[in-house]
Amino acid sequence: MKVVSNKYLICAILLCIGFHGSTIFFTLETTYDALIHLFFAGHYADNWFEHWSYKWYTGFSVMGYPPLVHQSMGALSLIGGLKFGLFTLAIIVSILFVTGVYRYSLLITANTTTAGYSSLLAVFSSSFVETLHIFGQLPSIMGISILMHALPEIYSWLKTGNYKYFFTSLSLLSVTVTSHHVTPIFGMVFFILPLVGMVIMDIAREQVNSYKEIRLQLFLKVFGKTFKRNITFVLLVLVLIVGCILPYWINSKRNPITQVPIPHGSRDNFLEILSSGLVFFLIPWGVLLFLLPYFIYRYFSKRYLFFGICFSMLIILGTGGTTPIPKMLLGDNAFNILTLDRFTLWASIMSLPLFGEFAYRFVEGDLKELIQRKFGAVYHRLIGGFLAVFFLGFAIFTLSLGYFRPSQPQKINMLPIVNFLNQDQHDQWRYLTLGFGDQMAWLSAQTNATTVDGNYHSARRLPELTTRPIERLENSKFKGVAGIGSLQQFLTVPEKYNLKYIFSNDKFYDPILYFCGWQRLPQLENGIMVWERLNIPPLSSILPRDGVHKWENIMWGIIPFTTVIVAFIFNILPLFRNGLRMKPKVPPEYLKFQNDYTSFSKTVLKVNHLWAAFVIIVMLYGTYLFYIKNDSQRSPKNVITAYYNALDFKQFKTAHSLIDPRSNLTIDQYMLEISVTDGLLSSYAKLDALKSTILKKTDSLVTMEVKTNWITPLEKINKTEYKTLVKLKRNWFLVPEEKEADLPPDQLYSKNKTGYFNQGRKRITTEQTHHEDILKQPVVEIIVAKLVKFKNSYAIIGKIQNIDNTPADIIIKGTLYNDQNKELATYNAKHLVKHKLMPKEVSSFRINFEGIAWSKTKDSIPKKFDPDEFTPIELEEQPTKFNLQLAANVSNSDLYKDHVLSNINIESKGLNGTIFNSGLQEITVPQLIITYYTKNKEIAWVDHLYLNQGIRQHRKLYFDYRFIENSIVDIINVDMSNCYVNGLPNEDVSYKIVPNRITNHTNEVLQKIHHPLYDYIKIEMNSFIGNPK
Amino acid sequence: MNSKHQFLFIFLWLIAIAIPAQDSLFLITEKKDFYAGDTISLSFKNKSNTSSYQLFCTNSYGSTLITPDKNEDILIFNIPQFISNKTGILHWKLIGNNQNISGKLSITSYRKPTSLETYIGPPTIEAGGIDYAMIIVIPTDSLDNPIPENSKVDVKRQFLQSENKQTILTKDLIGYLNIFSPTPSGRMLISTESYELNSKEYTLDILPAIGKNFKVFHERDHKYADGNQITTLYTSIIRDKNNNVVSDGTFVDFFITNQDGNILNTSGTTIRGIATASIIHPDCEATWNIKAFIDGIANSDVLQISYAKVIHKIPVKFSEDNRIITVGPLISFMEQMIPDGLQIELSMYKEGKFLNKIVEQSKDGFTTFKINPNIYKSGNYEIQITSACNTKIYKSIKLW
Repeated sequence: MKVVSNKYLICAILLCIGFHGSTIFFTLETTYDALIHLFFAGHYADNWFEHWSYKWYTGFSVMGYPPLVHQSMGALSLIGGLKFGLFTLAIIVSILFVTGVYRYSLLITANTTTAGYSSLLAVFSSSFVETLHIFGQLPSIMGISILMHALPEIYSWLKTGNYKYFFTSLSLLSVTVTSHHVTPIFGMVFFILPLVGMVIMDIAREQVNSYKEIRLQLFLKVFGKTFKRNITFVLLVLVLIVGCILPYWINSKRNPITQVPIPHGSRDNFLEILSSGLVFFLIPWGVLLFLLPYFIYRYFSKRYLFFGICFSMLIILGTGGTTPIPKMLLGDNAFNILTLDRFTLWASIMSLPLFGEFAYRFVEGDLKELIQRKFGAVYHRLIGGFLAVFFLGFAIFTLSLGYFRPSQPQKINMLPIVNFLNQDQHDQWRYLTLGFGDQMAWLSAQTNATTVDGNYHSARRLPELTTRPIERLENSKFKGVAGIGSLQQFLTVPEKYNLKYIFSNDKFYDPILYFCGWQRLPQLENGIMVWERLNIPPLSSILPRDGVHKWENIMWGIIPFTTVIVAFIFNILPLFRNGLRMKPKVPPEYLKFQNDYTSFSKTVLKVNHLWAAFVIIVMLYGTYLFYIKNDSQRSPKNVITAYYNALDFKQFKTAHSLIDPRSNLTIDQYMLEISVTDGLLSSYAKLDALKSTILKKTDSLVTMEVKTNWITPLEKINKTEYKTLVKLKRNWFLVPEEKEADLPPDQLYSKNKTGYFNQGRKRITTEQTHHEDILKQPVVEIIVAKLVKFKNSYAIIGKIQNIDNTPADIIIKGTLYNDQNKELATYNAKHLVKHKLMPKEVSSFRINFEGIAWSKTKDSIPKKFDPDEFTPIELEEQPTKFNLQLAANVSNSDLYKDHVLSNINIESKGLNGTIFNSGLQEITVPQLIITYYTKNKEIAWVDHLYLNQGIRQHRKLYFDYRFIENSIVDIINVDMSNCYVNGLPNEDVSYKIVPNRITNHTNEVLQKIHHPLYDYIKIEMNSFIGNPK
Repeated sequence: MNSKHQFLFIFLWLIAIAIPAQDSLFLITEKKDFYAGDTISLSFKNKSNTSSYQLFCTNSYGSTLITPDKNEDILIFNIPQFISNKTGILHWKLIGNNQNISGKLSITSYRKPTSLETYIGPPTIEAGGIDYAMIIVIPTDSLDNPIPENSKVDVKRQFLQSENKQTILTKDLIGYLNIFSPTPSGRMLISTESYELNSKEYTLDILPAIGKNFKVFHERDHKYADGNQITTLYTSIIRDKNNNVVSDGTFVDFFITNQDGNILNTSGTTIRGIATASIIHPDCEATWNIKAFIDGIANSDVLQISYAKVIHKIPVKFSEDNRIITVGPLISFMEQMIPDGLQIELSMYKEGKFLNKIVEQSKDGFTTFKINPNIYKSGNYEIQITSACNTKIYKSIKLW
């Protein structure tokens, strides 16, 4: 037999290199996973034989992910840097995929032409394009590609018993195992087992004349005969799966995944959440969807029967939460851990050989003849054109998805951040990124500094993270209250994690950073805002790590590359030998089982036509529904939805277009009105839910009640508004609302204030700060502190005063003990305190003990997240004593105090009033801290209120505050003997400065209120300035 | 030679005679006191020539073993520099024989400092004589050994017009002095000197102590309660008990008790002792009692100011089925239109039950309320309109 090169395959490889090799440079870095793999690669490039990485999650083991792909990238990075490694490997993986499809197709169809077609189609297969260019799952592609390469070898071994194939198949499988752990486990079930079935069929076939003659009896007979070899092989594969990545399994045993399920789109109901349906069902299937009946027909023919069963299972598993079947099949646990998109990927890959076969038959085979005979040549061409356009269109659409709907923030130039971390020993502390997306992995790869966050959530160890269904702290705003709440916990007690710096690429988080006591440093040159927390101790020079046996590290470092080398020796070297004609080439066994491509079944054609028509109708109907739902002015409800969405995404032009044109509100005026409204709701809120109900409807006028839930960094805001809509020529419009008309008295005004500057190190030196350059910690006094119980939660409340001559930044840490002096909980004051105090300024405070504050963190964290929720604990664990540690540092920022309570009215259930901004800055988020006093003017409780609007200079803002419920505050302990300031006893420090304090000095100016339990309140103010000028 | 040395000498002499009598090895070096940096060696006479000896040396910095140089029957142990450079007691013991030959040497430093380590803290203290800073001086020789006890150190101070010098003696290797704050605030420069070696200049800031009671004043453009102009409140120069002006930035809280007994609040920080705060004029006729506080420390006396009423009547007009309510013109004290932004509240009641409050702001002296027919169905309502403390009540307004 003359050996000819398969021109389709060569074409496919060339196309693959050209197409994917050039497009990856525009897509791969913005994928979900590629940079995570890059980070791991960076780890191996630095420490090949080290399993422990300190960089994420306060330390984690990289043995939680099979290392081959990462190590290969790491090795390649030694030549041209990490990104070179990434792109080179991506190209290699693509080639492996295309050739893998070819070999797998050849195995299934036993026809080089159809296999060639398959490989060509594989290049543009939308599931592959999506996995590579949108998800960036290199190890997963690597795993499945090598598995496809292994399948023909496995077949040959099982069929012939030739030991050559035994070694080739096992060597390839071990490469699969070391590149991806999930692929061989499920690949075993969905690819190897049906292959075993096919081998049995083929052996049976050789004993009779056609597949039709194979009966169950014969099948069982052959099954019994080949059982020993088959079972041995399957067991050996299991041994490989365990053995090749043994440290991985040991690590999983040692650090079981405690992570609560994190929602993933592939588990959604695709009919409900259309975007998930698009990404995890429609795109990966693409044009294959039209040909499903053909695939099922072919795979359910007797030879491929087992493939057919597995194929249908994969299809079903890939539908996620659309049907309850996947959950039943996998069980709750696996269903919640696995991402189900991989099943669709495998199903689509499994159908590729048949897709190639179909294409061959359609382009030049019996199907072409059949169609031309039945419907004419024009129809054949039309259908062909349609399929081709659809197929390529899907590939292009998939590729461009990341361009039109970016899943990641704009590319961030990391150099200024890396430089910042390198200078002045900033990497001695941990950092956190906010709003970086998956690019945080790229930053981690470039710096030695460590972070509490991370991007591989299976490796998490901190209970604060594993108990929350959030992907990363970094994008917590997308996870609603649970996300923001988890972030707040890290921001409140940063010293626990040595967290000192935050790089923020999203101003959404600014208010919470401010109210948790963080302060801004100058913006970096790439526009990233750096936030800093004072009084955070640096990391100790020796950090805790989990040790593993030396052999595990060595095994982990050596085995993956060894498997590649062994596979190379067994598989590639013989190719050269064949190529050099050193040995005659033996055609593989599976080529004997040729298919008959002469008579395409008419029924199949018919069924497929019906199916395709059905799919098209469903798609058209879906598009129609989509249009109706999104045609913004078709119904009042749509207008409201569109308007609020436009506001949420700051598309003010769209929002303006929905406003009644008769109101003569020009876009300029509208934009101006928008631009002068700052505040929590207009600048820092994300729309979470919108519910509109029609109160009254006439033909041309509708009044609606719009209930909106907004996620802000500080709290959830529920708002009810009434909107009027009018109908003009079939379209509905929104009637605009009046804007405030308050005019300030002065055109230009001046104000003097005291500013501060801290030189830091006076000498330009990298040495430790000189003794004389260190400022004294300001002396702050704890005037009163009490441990109280309100409803079900404990809190320490009190009042502090900066009695020094310099402004102070303060951290108050409270610890609770029981009667046996056992420490129960420790936490810091979050937002219920003014973190920046001018000399002699007073602030009330309250320390809440949130879930993670308690020592028994795991037991005490409530199932449903609510930062204010307290966990009742056993009786002997009731706190009775407290310790208070107040630390102050000189601060020169965020000292804005020009908020004035200019009017107040007391009502029976609350109070209202106005706040006036008398200063030179625009207040973005005003906060009122309200302290309740008893009849005897003793402090009883501290509450607060964020105002949703900002206050411009010399303007007023109206506010309304409701009193707390009539729950009695139990005062548990008022003993202040355990209060310390800067590590010194509170009494001692205050004596030196304020020896004769006038006690209860301002009691005469407490505000009287009408409340059954509390007689007085005091109102303090704290303001976040969003854009300090 | 004093008696102690005589005794030592006799003792050593006795040993010197005793050793050769009993054993083959004895010390021939007699010197016991050295200066840091000297070359120190111990020589032993060795008659036996048989065993190999080593010298175990230990001082506060560490221990070492020394092998001897042999010169015929004399063993010479040269003490390494890292030990001979440090002051303190050096213990030695000969190892390699069963005899217990040991001893100690005393190494002292020259009273000739070459560097002065000086620390002052805290860098800021409060005037008045209670608060203090401590200065610590460690004069050291060229080998970084503290010079001997009771060495003299001069602490030199400059404060305002005075300059003085105080001599202290080092004790336990360091010299220290508590510097209590003087009564005036200001900057004190401090340096130290020891045996003609001078330190660099150190700074100690004496900050003012807490303030004493003060007065409060006001300043405004007119006396009318127009809800628009701004009144500035300011304090007298706040001083501490020693007459120092309090630190810039001192926070002063101004509490305003109005005619209803409600407490308004504004605040200011001092510059040269004067804290300034501003507040917008009230909407309605008011009498304010203003008292400023530095909480727990000092306060002002009460200042009373009054604001005169500007709006005497609220014209209200109902139109379009009574659903458009126009309020205005709102006229101010010179018959001019009230400046924009005056708050006008409209409260709706039905059958005595409060329904809602709509708040609008005046523009060009007018405000229009539109009562939405979809929310407020036709019927009789009680409507209250409040502005600048004038309330107009319409008991029964029929909305169509």
